[in-house]
Amino acid sequence: MADETKTLTRERIALGDLLRHADDKQKLPAAVPPKTVPVEPLVPQPGQQTLAVGQRVTRPDSRNHGLGQTKYIDDLTLPGMLYAKIKRAGIASARIVRIDTSAAEAVPGVMAVITASDIPVNSFGPTFQDQPVLVGDIVRHAGDGVAAVAAVTEQIAAEAVEKIVIEFEPLPAVFDPLEAMQEHAYKIHAPNSNIYASKVIRKGDVEKGFAQSDRIFEGQFTTQMVEHVPLEPHAAIADWDANDRLTVWATIGRITLARADLARTLTLPMSRVRLIGTIVGGNFGGKNEITQEPALALLSKKAGRPVKGVFTRSDEFISTTTRHPFVMNYKTGVTKDGRILARTVRLVLDGGAYCSWSATTLGKACILASGPYNIENLISEAFVVYTNKTMTGAMRGFGAPQVCFAYESQMDDIAKALGIDPIEIRLRNAFGEGAISPTGQSLHSVVVKESLLTAAERFGWEERP
Amino acid sequence: MIDVTVTVNGSVRRAAVPPETTLLTLLRDNFQLTGTKLGCDVGDCGACTVIVDGMAVNACLMLAAQTDGRQVLTIEGLATKDKLHPLQKVFEESGALQCGFCGPGMLLSAKALLDENPEPSVYEIRDALAGNLCRCTGYSKIVEAVQDAARMRQTPQAHEAHQLEMHGQDHG
Amino acid sequence: MKPFEYVAARDSQHAVALLAEYGSGAKVLAGGTDLLADLKAAQHSPRVMVDISQAADLKGISLTDDGLRLGALVTHTEIMRSSVIRDYCPALIEAAHTIGAVQTRNLGTIGGNLVTCVPSMDSGPTLLALDAQITVVDPGGQRRMPLSALFVGPRKTSLADGQLLVDIVIPKASVGKPAAFLKFGLRKGQALALVNAAASLWVDGERTTFVAPRIALGAVAPTVIRAPKAEAFLAGLTISPEAMDKAGRIAASEAKPISDFRASADYRRDLIAVLVKRALATAYERSTAQKEHVQ
Repeated sequence: MADETKTLTRERIALGDLLRHADDKQKLPAAVPPKTVPVEPLVPQPGQQTLAVGQRVTRPDSRNHGLGQTKYIDDLTLPGMLYAKIKRAGIASARIVRIDTSAAEAVPGVMAVITASDIPVNSFGPTFQDQPVLVGDIVRHAGDGVAAVAAVTEQIAAEAVEKIVIEFEPLPAVFDPLEAMQEHAYKIHAPNSNIYASKVIRKGDVEKGFAQSDRIFEGQFTTQMVEHVPLEPHAAIADWDANDRLTVWATIGRITLARADLARTLTLPMSRVRLIGTIVGGNFGGKNEITQEPALALLSKKAGRPVKGVFTRSDEFISTTTRHPFVMNYKTGVTKDGRILARTVRLVLDGGAYCSWSATTLGKACILASGPYNIENLISEAFVVYTNKTMTGAMRGFGAPQVCFAYESQMDDIAKALGIDPIEIRLRNAFGEGAISPTGQSLHSVVVKESLLTAAERFGWEERP
Repeated sequence: MIDVTVTVNGSVRRAAVPPETTLLTLLRDNFQLTGTKLGCDVGDCGACTVIVDGMAVNACLMLAAQTDGRQVLTIEGLATKDKLHPLQKVFEESGALQCGFCGPGMLLSAKALLDENPEPSVYEIRDALAGNLCRCTGYSKIVEAVQDAARMRQTPQAHEAHQLEMHGQDHG
Repeated sequence: MKPFEYVAARDSQHAVALLAEYGSGAKVLAGGTDLLADLKAAQHSPRVMVDISQAADLKGISLTDDGLRLGALVTHTEIMRSSVIRDYCPALIEAAHTIGAVQTRNLGTIGGNLVTCVPSMDSGPTLLALDAQITVVDPGGQRRMPLSALFVGPRKTSLADGQLLVDIVIPKASVGKPAAFLKFGLRKGQALALVNAAASLWVDGERTTFVAPRIALGAVAPTVIRAPKAEAFLAGLTISPEAMDKAGRIAASEAKPISDFRASADYRRDLIAVLVKRALATAYERSTAQKEHVQ
């Protein structure tokens, strides 16, 4: 042993000598800090082909999609996995007097049943945490979940859900956002007002602008509720390990937010929550927050087995977020050659039973409500209002499509009334480079006019009959 | 329980299932062929489309019991071990699918069409795919891909020429 | 779906025996495209599902001494591919093509479409406009009756428990009769009809007079109906676009459309007038190619 050590040490020293010797021989210069070398930024020029930009590639998921190999959540199974179904309230506005889950629990094959009382912190939401995981007392829309069952098969879970007895005391309900805004309206989240967020943008002096206008146009425009209908329904699997760590596979886009919501509702440290956002079969904004995940986690904890929940198509329509219906009032003052001098906009968003992404939708809609047009005198006011209907949340456009429908419709009305070509009137008002947005932002890379003209040429605007 | 003996993708498979079991459940749960999807369960969306005895059908609207003694083709049976079906190849090259959930149903409906009508018009393609909903793509690329696959089966050269015309250079 | 027992019938006789055995606890399964979807939504299942889909004697399309026979199990796809139907009743193909999509047409049957008996059924109007008859069988034997006797109300037929629809026959006098079918839905495929309209007519030798005109409407009354006042107006009248236009408006007044989330009653009445006029015009165009009806 001792001999070996000596040998090693001797060899180590010898190597050091060798290197020093090599250095001397090399006559390496003294260590000097390197000079900074200017770096040419790699900015591809328009039309230039680089290694990546401009290349045509095939989507990496296409092979699996074509073979049917892509694994969506409902294609995953874990050993011993149970299936969950959720009992929906089926009534728009009510107080829960009594829930009796005993018949459901007695169904053979049912491994766990939970209600609101099993949920440590029964509220979540991206802006306001006004939505319960399962309703304990006040039902605010027919799709509200009231209880959840996990069983060895989906069919058993569905049967057990039907055996859950709930006694409701019906409460007043309000379905129209304009009605819900009124002082006397039934308060859906009492004691708070039904108007749960608002925004106003003021620019210039609209009274002066209207006074200077040759014509004033007023109109009310409404849009309807739209459901995303992703081909793949909402789905998730929850599982715990022996160290009390939760893993959730979910069809959720915003996984950091979802993880935080899981930690919060289940009172777990974030370090104990692992959220795996899987390949998703369509989102479009409707899968950006948790829905059943905390309930699945609690069912899994109670049953000691993984639990999968897949929404039915009916659940998709009544219990997932939708696009906000808007009621929009536009008053626009124009000169006789169609230039907009003043505009007031009032938006009322039907905000459904819970906030979800409504505050974001509201903000975006309000800013975009005046359109891509130079308007010096502007008031845009927006309100989002609770109603006893399905939640309204994020859906592609996030408030933009609704207001676009309104301001473009009114622009056509104005063009027709003044006898001005619809494209011409837009060109007269449209943003150009450096235009100032309603909120004071200076805009660059503005191509509104170019887009209009190119589109008009492409679809043969001049040749129309 | 009902005993079902059905040939799926060329192999004889057996299962004993409750009578109310649909073909969709049989394929996904009993045979672990999860390529066929559940989108609505009532025959509206087409995500569960499979080919039974040469006919495109909604697996959610057939009882497993009704497939006894019959031949079923699912998406898993479309490619061979070595080769993609022309439809799969073209869908992949043209990026016809996005989230992919409608894909298996779409591909099988398209296959059923091309097997019967090798040179379909755009109208005929849209008609054949009317029972397959897609929320991502707006259908244009899917229709073009079916046209291209039809072309490819007629003459592979025509397919290559079309690919070059559409996409510029050969991306292998 | 809720559990049920299952039994497959070998032929119509076996089916009738099974239905007699299970009584009101049985439901007949043919294509399943309506029934299974309904059961998934329903709170209960039948005790027994009697599957008749493999009963060979309920299939087939043929020209017989009676006329053109379609077995109750003939699928909409089979109708679309039938050269006999193409030659003698192309309007049936038009109607079949409007049903659902390829997948539903491959499974769905004409018998099932009639027996499910929704007012918006797409196969009923053309058959009614061709004076179709049906054969119903039960333990007591088999009977022939007009198709119109089948329709009682929305989802309600005159079939009693234990009775089975066996076939549909377009009588000799209507085989080859020029006819047309039009459907208006909110989409081109997989859409429920807002209005269905079918028209059939013979013409005289000079092709100037309406002979035996028939108009049938769907989705605008509790069942598929004829428009007898419009028919009476046309019978023996000189053929003209104005006559067809007026007939359309008379037919609209004979319907009882409802207002619902898909359309208002007024809108449906407008549609009836237009679709009937167009169906008559198309049927008239087809009269140039009208085959001699089988004597």
